[in-house]
Amino acid sequence: MQLHQNKMGDVLIVRPLERRIDAATATEFKEKMSEWIGAGNRRIVLNLSEVDFIDSSGLGAIVSSLKKIGNDGDLVICSVRETVMSLFRLTRMNRVFDILSSEEEAIGALSRRL
Amino acid sequence: MTRNYLDNSRAALKESMDYHLRCSLCRETPSKDYRDHFLATAFSLRDRMTEKILQTERRYQEAGAKRVYYLSMEFLIGRLLGDSLYNLGLFDLCRDVLSEAGIDIDEVREQENDAGLGNGGLGRLAACFLDSMATLDIPGFGYGIHYEYGLFKQEVDNGYQKEKPDNWLAEFSPWEIKRPDEKCIVPIYGRIEHFQDRAGEYNPMWLDWKVIMGIPFDIPVVGYGGKTVNWLRLYGAGSSTDFDIQIFNEGDYFRAVEQKVSSETITKMLYPRDTLKSGKELRLVQEYFLVACSLRDIVRRYLKDHGDFDRFSDSVAIQMNDTHPSLAVAELMRLLVDEYALPWDSAWEITQRTMAYTNHTILSEALEKWPVSLLERVIPRHLQIIYEINSRFLATVASLHPSDIDLIRRMSLIEEGENKQVRMAHLAMVGSHSINGVSALHTEILMKNNFSDFHALWPERFVSITNGITQRRWLLKSNPQLAGLISEKIGDSWITDLAQLKRLESCADDPDFQDRFRGIKRANKEALSRIISRTAWVSVNPDSLFDVHVKRIHEYKRQLLKIMHIIYEYLQIVRGEKTPTVAKTYIFGGKAAPGYWVAKQIIKLIHNVGQVINSDKRLQDIMKVVFLPDYRVSLAEKIIPAADLSEQISMAGTEASGTGNMKFMLNGALTVGTLDGANVEMLQESGEDNIFIFGLKAGEIEEMQRANTYRPTEYYRSYPEIRIVVDTFRDNVFCPSEPGLFQWIYSRFMHEEDTYFHLPDLLEYIRIQEKIEEEYRDTASWTKKAIFNVTRSGKFSSDRAISEYAGLIWKVEAVK
Repeated sequence: MQLHQNKMGDVLIVRPLERRIDAATATEFKEKMSEWIGAGNRRIVLNLSEVDFIDSSGLGAIVSSLKKIGNDGDLVICSVRETVMSLFRLTRMNRVFDILSSEEEAIGALSRRL
Repeated sequence: MTRNYLDNSRAALKESMDYHLRCSLCRETPSKDYRDHFLATAFSLRDRMTEKILQTERRYQEAGAKRVYYLSMEFLIGRLLGDSLYNLGLFDLCRDVLSEAGIDIDEVREQENDAGLGNGGLGRLAACFLDSMATLDIPGFGYGIHYEYGLFKQEVDNGYQKEKPDNWLAEFSPWEIKRPDEKCIVPIYGRIEHFQDRAGEYNPMWLDWKVIMGIPFDIPVVGYGGKTVNWLRLYGAGSSTDFDIQIFNEGDYFRAVEQKVSSETITKMLYPRDTLKSGKELRLVQEYFLVACSLRDIVRRYLKDHGDFDRFSDSVAIQMNDTHPSLAVAELMRLLVDEYALPWDSAWEITQRTMAYTNHTILSEALEKWPVSLLERVIPRHLQIIYEINSRFLATVASLHPSDIDLIRRMSLIEEGENKQVRMAHLAMVGSHSINGVSALHTEILMKNNFSDFHALWPERFVSITNGITQRRWLLKSNPQLAGLISEKIGDSWITDLAQLKRLESCADDPDFQDRFRGIKRANKEALSRIISRTAWVSVNPDSLFDVHVKRIHEYKRQLLKIMHIIYEYLQIVRGEKTPTVAKTYIFGGKAAPGYWVAKQIIKLIHNVGQVINSDKRLQDIMKVVFLPDYRVSLAEKIIPAADLSEQISMAGTEASGTGNMKFMLNGALTVGTLDGANVEMLQESGEDNIFIFGLKAGEIEEMQRANTYRPTEYYRSYPEIRIVVDTFRDNVFCPSEPGLFQWIYSRFMHEEDTYFHLPDLLEYIRIQEKIEEEYRDTASWTKKAIFNVTRSGKFSSDRAISEYAGLIWKVEAVK
């Protein structure tokens, strides 16, 4: 799975370059996220602008990443397409994650929580 | 084709039929193939109906109309060609166009498979209701399941029922419009992850679900006159490319195909009604699939015109046809609370104001309950919602009756015990603003017995709406000669206003009218005799009294009581204790659920009794007993117009309404029946001289059950009439080559087992049959009574029932 990552200050921005996060890629996604969190990244923006479909394994992998960060960090999501948003609503994940419309807003939101 | 090819003109109809023969079916014209003509005709009608769906929708839009959505696991629609032709006003024209091509329209109609997407009355009621809603210009739509296999086809081998798959779609249905563009996703299985939301509040997340795709198939429903065309949307289950592509990508082709097949299995088959007790997971999945697809679609339609849910219950009414779709309460709550983030209280108010529940049975074993453990696995989020609904509901009950723990236990949505179960009827009642029974007696029993606690809490929610049937199918189409005679006398306003039949009463004594009425009955009996000869291999006399008992085979419907009477009569004749004065043909039909041993034995008994009687030279043509295999809508349309006597002899207090009883009445059969279901109202309407009522009343049976005073052996010992009949089961009179075959019936009585009170009603039943025989001999008087049955059947139109639903429950208006 191709994941683009870059850092803005202490914020890690992760952008999957795939259209799907599903059973075929969810494990790899989860492992990479876990690796980055383990390396000390505590404030992460997940940019889903390229993704138009996430199945329940993919949603589970995102929840896992949030759990891994724990209480001393934050994971916000941005640039979510409507098809993906409807799946967030179905699972009620939209109430757990901050979901912002752009990467800038997401970074701004994390900055305000300093 | 020409610009006006959808006109109701002969030229346009011919043009579109020819077009479809050539362009849709790739056939040279003229074709002589009936199947080709059936398809070409159906396509031509479908073109007209789809155009009218669009026109109707525009009318509804302009009126901002409130819409009714009728959720039902069954729609027993049968054949559609004849109905559509009549309702579009194209029957005569189409007959002529086909005739010019040398094609007989009746042969063309025989090419259509029955869409047997139902078990019996409940599914047929749903189909009649759709017809009435369209005829009354009510924006009413059906939601159901696109079963690949309808109710099994019944074959009979040596008296034993054999079930064969009913692949009604084998040659595809020309009526359906597949709408993959409007498919929806249905999440299922998975687990709840207990989390907190951003505000620190509890936030359950439904994760690890699988997905089934719901693919809609629309069938147009045209009202009489052809102005309004609504639709029935049936959902078929499919796998999703999105959701399966991962497995393909993993290179596991076989697993991917298995997944696809597994998803499609969900709508493979309609469950026979009496097999539902065993709590089959697939049935639960079907019920959930129906409500999940329907509600997602209903909400989607509503949101096209509205930005929020403030006007949802003013714009939408949802009727749950029996308990099967009651998960709709939990699903609507889930959609509103989870997916659209409404506060619980607002969502609950909307749900209650939108949903309404029709109960169709008082048999406690048919009131569905699902194990909590199963719901937890299949739809974990819905179970959470059901628990929350229950907790709030029981708090209300407790606040009103703080010390009545037993009441709280009885009313709870959850039945406690080792295997906790969800009481689906309670869920439906708590989540609905209206709860209705389907006849006056049935509603009374619901309020007094089954649901008395709920009635005490919410008396205003209970309402009785007696079932009905559509006269367009059950008279206009199935008995065209009688329909023609009626229209000749009083005009055709009865087609949309059945109460008009009353105006025919002045003809009841007219000898000429009586002659013609009898002549039509005789012709219908001749036609049925030919079917009997062809399918049951028995030659019957059309001048004999046709005594008909056709319906699902079930102990409570008491086919056994009818057979016991026939045995009694047979023994009386052969023993020389009775001189028959009326030749009789006893006609049975009906399917037994595949796993229902007793019902299948009853079919075998009917055959064996028939075999003995039909081959007994002493009886000649005096008495015949026949069983017509594969009872279905199209066969009912042939049987009912030919009946002289309609058997409606269920144990009082068990049949919720019955609709077969109404169809017979409308077609001029006299009813012999117990005071059960809608028979009670048929007595009120027809007058006691025109119906034969016998047997214990519901209250009397209830009392005997409560006091445990009924002893079958006492009846056996006390009444020789009963004894001689019961002894035939012990003595192998009807199974000489298979001794012991019917011993179980004898043994049951001897062991004081007679759940459906056959013996206490048998004597009175024998007496009333003697009275019927006597009355039948007076031809003029019988005919007059038969005519009165027709003229007084106005109440039993589904148009009346739908008008009551519209006014009392749905609060919708016609959009003319």
